[in-house]
Amino acid sequence: MTEKILFKYIDQPDQYKIDTYIKNGGYQAVPRVLKELSPEQVIDIIKKSGLRGRGGAGFPTGMKWGFVPKDSSKPRFLLCNADEGEPGTFKDRELMQKDPHQLLEGIIISSYAIGANLSFIYIRGEFAFEANRLEEAIKEAYNKGFLGKNILGTGFDLEIKVHRGGGAYICGEETSLLSSIEGVRPLVRLRPPYPAISGCYECPSAVNNVETLSNVPHIIINGAEWYAGIGTPKSKGTKIFCLSGQVNKPGNYELPMGTPLRELIEEYGGGIKNNRKLKAVIPGGVSTQVLPVTKVDVKLDFESLIEAGSMLGSGAVIVMDENTCMVETAYRLVQFFEHESCGECTPCREGTYWLSRIMKRIVQGQGRMEDIDLLLDLCDNIFGKTICPLGDSVTIPITSTLQHFREEYEYHIKNKRCPVERK
Amino acid sequence: MSKPNDTFTVNIDGQILLASKGLTILQVAEENHIYIPTLCAHKDLTPFGGCRMCIVEVEGMRGFPTACTTPVEEGMIIRTDTAQIQKVRMEILQLILSEHTSSCLICEEKEECREFQGTIRKVGVTTGCRYCSKDGQCELQEVVEKLRLRQINYPIYYRHLRVEKDDPFYDRDYNLCILCGRCIRVCQEIRTANTLTFKQRGCYTVIGPAYDRSHLDAGCEFCGACVSVCPTGALSEKTNKWEGEIEQKTTTTCPLCSIGCQIGLLLKGGKVIGTLPAEDPLVNNGQLCVKGRFCITELVNNFHRLKKPYRTHDGIKVEISWQEAIKLAAEKISACPAEDFGLLISPNCSNEDLYIAQKFTRAAIGSHQIDTSARVFYGAGFNAYLDLMKMSASLSDIKNASLVLCIGLDTRFGRSVIGVEIRKALKKGARLFTIHPREHNLALIAEKWLQPVPGTEVDILNTLVNLSEEKRKAAPPAKSKWRIKSYEDELSGLVEMLKKAYSPIILLGSEFLQYKESPQIYEAVRKLTQKVKAKVLPLPPQNNLFGSILSGSYPELLPGGFSSTEEQRLKYLSKKWGKNLPAFSSGWNAEKLLAGTKLKVLYLIGEVPTGFRPPADFIIFQNIYPPAPFFEADLVLPSAAFTEVEGTYINSEGRIQRVRKGVEPPGEALPDWEILCRIAQEMGRKGFEFSNPCEIREELSNLIKGFDEREIDERKINPLICEGKFVVSRSGLPIKKKDAKNFPFLLTASSVEDTYRGFPLSLWVEGAKKLFAEGILEINPEDAQKSGISQDDEVIVTASSFEETWRARISKEQPQGILHARLFPFEKIGPNPHAVRIRKKNA
Ligand SMILES: Cc1cc2nc3c(=O)[nH]c(=O)nc-3n(C[C@H](O)[C@H](O)[C@H](O)COP(=O)(O)O)c2cc1C
Ligand code: SF4
Ligand code: SF4
Ligand code: SF4
Ligand code: FES
Repeated sequence: MTEKILFKYIDQPDQYKIDTYIKNGGYQAVPRVLKELSPEQVIDIIKKSGLRGRGGAGFPTGMKWGFVPKDSSKPRFLLCNADEGEPGTFKDRELMQKDPHQLLEGIIISSYAIGANLSFIYIRGEFAFEANRLEEAIKEAYNKGFLGKNILGTGFDLEIKVHRGGGAYICGEETSLLSSIEGVRPLVRLRPPYPAISGCYECPSAVNNVETLSNVPHIIINGAEWYAGIGTPKSKGTKIFCLSGQVNKPGNYELPMGTPLRELIEEYGGGIKNNRKLKAVIPGGVSTQVLPVTKVDVKLDFESLIEAGSMLGSGAVIVMDENTCMVETAYRLVQFFEHESCGECTPCREGTYWLSRIMKRIVQGQGRMEDIDLLLDLCDNIFGKTICPLGDSVTIPITSTLQHFREEYEYHIKNKRCPVERK
Repeated sequence: MSKPNDTFTVNIDGQILLASKGLTILQVAEENHIYIPTLCAHKDLTPFGGCRMCIVEVEGMRGFPTACTTPVEEGMIIRTDTAQIQKVRMEILQLILSEHTSSCLICEEKEECREFQGTIRKVGVTTGCRYCSKDGQCELQEVVEKLRLRQINYPIYYRHLRVEKDDPFYDRDYNLCILCGRCIRVCQEIRTANTLTFKQRGCYTVIGPAYDRSHLDAGCEFCGACVSVCPTGALSEKTNKWEGEIEQKTTTTCPLCSIGCQIGLLLKGGKVIGTLPAEDPLVNNGQLCVKGRFCITELVNNFHRLKKPYRTHDGIKVEISWQEAIKLAAEKISACPAEDFGLLISPNCSNEDLYIAQKFTRAAIGSHQIDTSARVFYGAGFNAYLDLMKMSASLSDIKNASLVLCIGLDTRFGRSVIGVEIRKALKKGARLFTIHPREHNLALIAEKWLQPVPGTEVDILNTLVNLSEEKRKAAPPAKSKWRIKSYEDELSGLVEMLKKAYSPIILLGSEFLQYKESPQIYEAVRKLTQKVKAKVLPLPPQNNLFGSILSGSYPELLPGGFSSTEEQRLKYLSKKWGKNLPAFSSGWNAEKLLAGTKLKVLYLIGEVPTGFRPPADFIIFQNIYPPAPFFEADLVLPSAAFTEVEGTYINSEGRIQRVRKGVEPPGEALPDWEILCRIAQEMGRKGFEFSNPCEIREELSNLIKGFDEREIDERKINPLICEGKFVVSRSGLPIKKKDAKNFPFLLTASSVEDTYRGFPLSLWVEGAKKLFAEGILEINPEDAQKSGISQDDEVIVTASSFEETWRARISKEQPQGILHARLFPFEKIGPNPHAVRIRKKNA
């Protein structure tokens, strides 16, 4: 196993304090960037490192920054997406709680790269502790001259503001995040224009995930080649996997991209609880397809998971054992999306409602055989026909459980009860 | 205009079409008559992309882009109607309908049902399927029919939302809402009133003001823009619910304020069933305020409308024929010496009516005793106001202004179209300042709200004038220094900005029109305007004040703005009209009427000057509504309302605009000019042989510039030219020193300006009662507490010159020590402010 990058000092109790952070080698990338590198060079390094977004979509970070126009007369903004709303995901929280300066350093460098003098951290409303910790860390960084006017005498100015979210899953979607920061209802915006051209307050903006930004200082210090040397050819670096579900040792594990799923569950997670058998895994948060036990040897990286019929998503690995009913699981997930649909577009707003009604009927033993086709039809009417990807996500639990566990649905409908014998 | 290289071709359904950059697929398709079903898209609103009805296929693009949001690009290959698209659209439409009651859409019996039901409302009650008042005019219905949807695979889910009927003018049944967001967008983007938003989320989403406030509390202007764009029956106007499709539309000019918005009268069965803004780029740009949008229908249709002439004998009403009425009027007037006759006509009347009325007074009777209520309204400040009117800017100057200074202007209900224009300017970066003694809607969006203690507004304005005089030392007049101390910095800052601004405009609302120092206030406004080279636009509440001045409807003024003292002109008119006009002497006028000067015959056309019988032996009351019983008019003549006549008004800019007849007057009612002409002819006078307003205008056009028919149609602005001057009572008295012991409070009062022909709208229009409160005393909570007054208590207000009782409304917005009364229509307590004391009634 390679060395940890983001979590290297995560277990040191004082790592959140600036002195400890500096003692452990922190805030070395900032002076190097500000004094020695041009913004273009920073973007180049990130491009070469192969860093891809950790928020779910896996978009190449350097490329995203490159879209932000350099010659705009408008101010530019860097937005850190700390909404962490995807069920099963809890990595950003730990990063902000235990190593906030690592994130701040990443933000400073990224802001410099795109020419932003103001950056927002949009943090999930429930994360009160983390928000306070970030505020304190920001204060410390100001006092040491890493933030504010004329940072380290280089002429670069940067303010960071912590913006606490209003509490909706959709706020994590990058365009509704922009609306939410502006103080209006988090309505999803139409693209184009993309945020890089017209984002926050109609100014060029880049939105990046906490984990993505936390990687940046390390890449600067150790070089793009070093980072590109970790992981697989197309998925570079390490990834924090949020292991949850019926495993013995749930938690955050930072592992190189391409680590096999089995290894994560068995070696790091200590295997399935109570010696039960593994039944299925959701590998990347609830917006990704369920994989049956047969796929447990898949490697955890962007490409391999797509090949296996799922996605890396946010890296939230949810493990289910043989006692889990897949129909009920799908119903539970659909309920989540029904609750979180923003209501802006028809297929998602109305579709989630009907999906949830039909699923409820099946779970309660009142389903009909035609319901399965109705579900698939509905999913087909939603997928790809909504404004934002949330609409697509709604259909994923249903289509993927139907693909791999159709017999459970049929059993529910025929026998009016759940097929899972709870041991 | 797009540059040639921004024009390219696209392929839609195999047709090669010309398109230009910036257009959406939908726009290009519509230009070429290719139908794509839409629900949330609207030509005046930004694309939303929510309903997903307009999906199309574009070669090289993933999935199904929405036509309303996707910009065209060179060489795009677009398909709008493949089998796959049809299927998906059908499914989406079903999803939309799954939460929309839909028997009106897919019921097999709907054709028969529509044809054979006489009264929709009753059928709705018995069969339970006719619940939507918009049946037949619903865009959703249209789409369902175009796509030939016959069956919905989902059970209908009724949301059980309470139908909201509490606010005035329109009802909201969100069970019919399809969440297209048009209402929200029109309110935000076009009205910029920001009243509405989506609330809740997912399938619980509903429309409404945030935080569950009522529309009234959320700042809704009741402009009705949202009702107009709603594609379903969710939003419906109270007055014309169930009226069905209209038969005809006539464009005319709204008479409810001097902006003169162009409105479309919606006509059906010989009745006006509604009004909508006309797409008029010169004046109101497709917008209206609550009065024009919602009040007119009720105003002209109220069953109290006068339909037959009648006279009263000892308080008993006797209906008579027109012949008898004309004869009686002619007899009484003929027998009346010229100096004992007075005619009061409303500035709401058309130019033709006003002209005939003054010609009647001058040529048929030989007197100058014609007046309008405007004299009383403007009082000592009338001349100063006239001077400002001569400088009127145009409405389009507002949106192009770089700085807007509003003086005594509130644009929430009346004049809300001005509010829309102001916000357009703000969007372009203009700065807004407002001077107003009370909380008002512009305070929220203005950069600075200067809130003078009543009586000190003139000092603020004079200080601005002084500061704008370059060389003079920037110091406020010494005597009033204390009054404006707190504003010193702001004032010099404001003057600097005014001077630097490249297109500043000053808008003058109603607040200060009835102040003791109004002459000085207008004078200061005029000087300031000249000093800082700003434009100025006074916005009088009387819609045709301009016309009343130009037509010569005042003793001092002859048609064309000439002074009545000008002998040359008198001679000229005498020759023209074939009657020797008397020399001018200041005799009777509206002020004297209120002061109790007695006449033999008083002729009121569209005016209700007092609440009781005014002093005269014989009173002719000519209006669209009857006088109150204790008014005791002797002869009552039914007039036609503006929807029933042809004519012209002149708006505050000086634009002559047409009034067009939409319907016949009720009963036997006649246009004012026609009644006057008939009386004059009965009296044997020559020069009144007009058979239509066109002939009157022909005569007018010889006397007043701009009245040529062709010129009227051009709707150009003719700046006011008026050489005459009003004889006003002594210029405003300075306020007396506050007698703090006896009269600890300052009171300002505003009388209803939302009137038509002397009657307040709230008398005849149900919804207006809620918006325009009367008989109310606004008081600060602390003041109320100290005086032992609680909400809705009756409060006796005593000043040195009057004692009145009003109902208390406790309002945090009211500054301490200052009271504000909203007067009943006929109440007059003299110009503001007043030093008063208060006590609770029966305490
Ligand atoms: C419904 C929805 C919810 C999302 N929630 C989050 C979130 O909570 N945190 C996050 O970082 N990204 C979230 N995303 C992804 C963001 O839209 C965006 O892709 C990401 O912040 C970009 O950052 P990255 O390039 O660093 O991954 C969400 C996307 C969708 C469609
Ligand atoms: S897909 Fe759902 S969450 Fe996304 S915009 Fe549409 S309604 Fe909102
Ligand atoms: S009536 Fe006008 S102000 Fe009120 S909600 Fe509708 S659009 Fe907005
Ligand atoms: S009320 Fe009407 S305009 Fe507003 S969202 Fe509903 S259907 Fe659309
Ligand atoms: S009309 Fe295009 S999405 Fe509604």
